[in-house]
Amino acid sequence: MMSSLNIEEIYKILPQRFPFVMIDRVTELEPRKKVVALKNVSYNEEFFAGHFPNNPVMPGVLIIEAMAQASIILFCGGKDACADKKLIYYLGAVKTRFMHPVVPGDQLIITVEPLKIISRAAIVKAKVQVLDKEVASAEISLVAK
Amino acid sequence: MQDIDAEIKELIATIIEKDASQIDPDARFIEDLGVDSMMALEILAAIEKKYKIVIPEERLPEFITLNATIKIAKEYLADKK
Repeated sequence: MMSSLNIEEIYKILPQRFPFVMIDRVTELEPRKKVVALKNVSYNEEFFAGHFPNNPVMPGVLIIEAMAQASIILFCGGKDACADKKLIYYLGAVKTRFMHPVVPGDQLIITVEPLKIISRAAIVKAKVQVLDKEVASAEISLVAK
Repeated sequence: MQDIDAEIKELIATIIEKDASQIDPDARFIEDLGVDSMMALEILAAIEKKYKIVIPEERLPEFITLNATIKIAKEYLADKK
């Protein structure tokens, strides 16, 4: 079954809150099989003020964070699967590659698929595209406690 | 079967970032080799992928040494045949 999530539904899954929610919408959700999520990158993001002055580039760590948050949604499975569990997620390992800089106006299309999911942990494959161009990819291990 | 032993040793060495020659077959992953639980899951996933087998997560706590890991992998490889 494929579905999508709006920001209110995303809030029920993610423990992160403003200003650290790196997912705006989920356009595809196949529980524990595939998630496609969007993050709109605006010049109003505060980090652009310092990263870097007169040369706004989205920090790679925040792109990793976006991939990790999409991974949490993948791990959780369904819309209400994690709603009351109050889980905390830890990153175990990240192998990342950045291909192109992300700048104001870009829309990140984040796709995550599992390599292995067990009850308390997951290893997932993530990629980030802007339009058709791949800008980053990662293999992410996360633990839920 | 010797090949599988060597292959799994190599695969584990890559994951835990050690040289294969440094891994004693009976050295304990966590206490002796500094492996964490996430690496253990990576080892399980890598073995599943390489040999196209499925090892249930209940077996994960048994991945305590190289020899133990090889033994479990061979169990599921035998089931496959």
